[in-house]
Amino acid sequence: MAAKKPKGKASSDGEIMNQKQKRLSFLVSMEPKKMILYPFVVFVLALLLLAVHPPERGIDLRGGVVVTVYNVDASPDELASYLTDKTGTELHAERFHDSINGITGIRIYAPADANPDLISDLIKARYPNADITPRVVDPTFGKIAQRQGIKAVAYAFIGMAIVVFLFFRDPIPSGTIIFSAFSDMVIALAIMGLLGIKLTTATIAALLMLIGYTVDSNILLTTRLLRRKEDTVEDAYLSAVSTGFTMSTTTLGALIVLWLVSTSDVIDSITIVLIFGLLADFMNTWIFNAGVLRWYIVSPYRFSIKLRRGS
Amino acid sequence: MARKRGIKALLLNWRVLLLILSLIGSIAAIAVNGLTYGIDIGGGVALIAKPDRPLSGEEVDGIASSLQNRLNTFGVKDITIESQRDPETGETLFVVKVANVTLDEAKQIKNLIESQGVLYMELDGVVFARGSDVTVYSSNYGLDLQRCPTCWYVGFTLSGDSLKKFNELKKGKAGWPVDIFLDPPVNSLIVVSDRVYSTMQGFLGEPVSGTPKPLVQRISEAFNITVVKYQNQSAGELVKNATSLGKDTIIVVDLPEELYTKVKNELLQSNLGVRVSYYSPQQGEDPKSFVARILHLYGPYVLSAEVVEGDSNSFQLTGSAATKEEALQEAKRIYSVLRSGSLPTKLGVISEEYISPTLGSSFKKQALMAGLGALIAVLLAIYFHYRRWKLAIPIASTSLFEVIIILGMASLIRWNLDLPSIAGIIAAIGTGVDQQIVITDELLGGSSAEGVSRRMGLLRRMARAFFVILASATTTIVAMSFLLFYFVGTLKGFAVTTILGVLIGILITRPAYAEIAKYLLSLE
Repeated sequence: MAAKKPKGKASSDGEIMNQKQKRLSFLVSMEPKKMILYPFVVFVLALLLLAVHPPERGIDLRGGVVVTVYNVDASPDELASYLTDKTGTELHAERFHDSINGITGIRIYAPADANPDLISDLIKARYPNADITPRVVDPTFGKIAQRQGIKAVAYAFIGMAIVVFLFFRDPIPSGTIIFSAFSDMVIALAIMGLLGIKLTTATIAALLMLIGYTVDSNILLTTRLLRRKEDTVEDAYLSAVSTGFTMSTTTLGALIVLWLVSTSDVIDSITIVLIFGLLADFMNTWIFNAGVLRWYIVSPYRFSIKLRRGS
Repeated sequence: MARKRGIKALLLNWRVLLLILSLIGSIAAIAVNGLTYGIDIGGGVALIAKPDRPLSGEEVDGIASSLQNRLNTFGVKDITIESQRDPETGETLFVVKVANVTLDEAKQIKNLIESQGVLYMELDGVVFARGSDVTVYSSNYGLDLQRCPTCWYVGFTLSGDSLKKFNELKKGKAGWPVDIFLDPPVNSLIVVSDRVYSTMQGFLGEPVSGTPKPLVQRISEAFNITVVKYQNQSAGELVKNATSLGKDTIIVVDLPEELYTKVKNELLQSNLGVRVSYYSPQQGEDPKSFVARILHLYGPYVLSAEVVEGDSNSFQLTGSAATKEEALQEAKRIYSVLRSGSLPTKLGVISEEYISPTLGSSFKKQALMAGLGALIAVLLAIYFHYRRWKLAIPIASTSLFEVIIILGMASLIRWNLDLPSIAGIIAAIGTGVDQQIVITDELLGGSSAEGVSRRMGLLRRMARAFFVILASATTTIVAMSFLLFYFVGTLKGFAVTTILGVLIGILITRPAYAEIAKYLLSLE
């Protein structure tokens, strides 16, 4: 076998990995205490930000009317004032444009008690070629969706926590994973508030996806550090970071492309929340969680709950 | 030689074999069943309706079938009505989806759902019974084999005043037409073409004696519906005509759509509170059923001699169809129409979303482009990290296979792909790629290890990779199961495709990828 293929490939492979690990080695030289402190500060800041400026609820959680109009070449302000005039309800319009597909449109936002039929009829009368897609959500449905959204995230989180605990049966590493996931969500929510991304059923789906992604990388790290007995902690950490780096950049790449290509509001808000969540996860997994684990592995206070005899 | 044998062994490895078979099966399933899309991609209207009060299980079924009936009068094909019960509050919501409708049809559908549904029975231009006067005992319908092999019957009783009224009215009218209407367009002006007008002059039954009034006259007397022939009146004249008669609806039938648009714009300008709607015959629709559809008319049925002479309070509607199945279907339809004449409660539409069919198809194209773009991004990112196509191509194509298998499963269980479902597929692919990277790195991590412990090391590393994969798969499935079972709203699709993707991942694609990667890396 060895004679058939020059060995160069394998070693160049090792070289690439080495290079990557070298690039990431600054992480190893960090002190565990600092690794815990910085992300924690970010978490607290995000929490404060969230308290001051929480993300707004979108119409599907609050109730309201959005009429999306395609194939219309009009100024949104002019259209809004024309419609406000005719319907007697205050509404505002925004233009959106997608350069890749060349689709342009206007979204008209109105309160829940507005009459969407009248709005679309008025637009149709002025612009016969308009493609109109109204969406109407009654506040009662908004309330139902909101209650269920909160429940879904809470249950998913609790379910995740239980499974993580059962897999590791050790309170410190499992607690850290659960905290990282929580911090990811808090940071993602804070950024949503900051950027004015609304909380909708779609972004709730994104937060749920985030739970999945977070757990992936955290489980990888914890497994590598706690179960990899053949390497030193530093080596195990570095190899985990390099795998994690590949994972996150690949996912981020795919998400960015998705965000660029899609004009769908739903897909756009899902991807943007995921992008920020993944960036937060990068910090929380590879710095915070790693710091806790590195401190924990060398600390004299190690204990674990054994649910099975002799394991 | 060794290499060739290696490929053969790889292809015959049961994990790889399972992947290939699943792939073939999925492609076959998609080819046979096709993919079905949600309203938000395929186009159509999705409405969520909430009843005024909590309902019993029987009431829920009744409302669902009566909604189905009333929507059928639109002649639209793809209607799904689903009732979802919130396990905590016990509240029931009805989710109604109708594919491929125009915006106007969508509005009418909404109005229809919100109106409580009124059944009228009419004879000789007189309404003798309404929904609440008619009682239908459960499943009192079926085939009437004594009369003929394809004859059907539906039994009902009349009570109180309506019975008295009917007994008065029916005298000497054997063979006269009896009409049943569900939500007729009361108090409207119907503008029709010549041929529709002449059809409407008919509907005369098979009178034994006397001359029944034509349909146009009957509906005029019973419901204040005025039918006028279109003779080049302008939109303005039609509107004036309607307002002077005090009508609240104008219905344009079998005329150029342009006229309808003009009337609509005229009404928008004047703001009179008059509505307008539009009907045109569907392909292959015969004139009589077209007229019946416009008026929401069932029948006309014909008064039999026994009923006219007899003195009873229980009656039967009878008829015949071409085949036994059709006869039974017709009986069932009429049975539920009679029952739905009195919806137990009012429904309010609390969420409404409309996507035009043209937009829907552009979304489909876009989703495909986005998917391909993401796949290429994955391919490039993996190549950038490992610097070899030998790993990048298998990882990216395994992801592609995974999408195909998820879609195959979706087509097998006839799942409607909506936007949340697509988000779920993206989530599954994202974690899928992540897990393949974990496997790859565990495999690569060993290439520099000492030769002696190599095999042991490999097994251990694979075990570790699959521990990570299993742990994260379990968490995702547990988390998503809550969404699947506890959610009434729109995110169900997200949970379904994510869970499908994760299951396919751990059972089929991940093990196969591990084998393929092991083979490819062992060649070096």
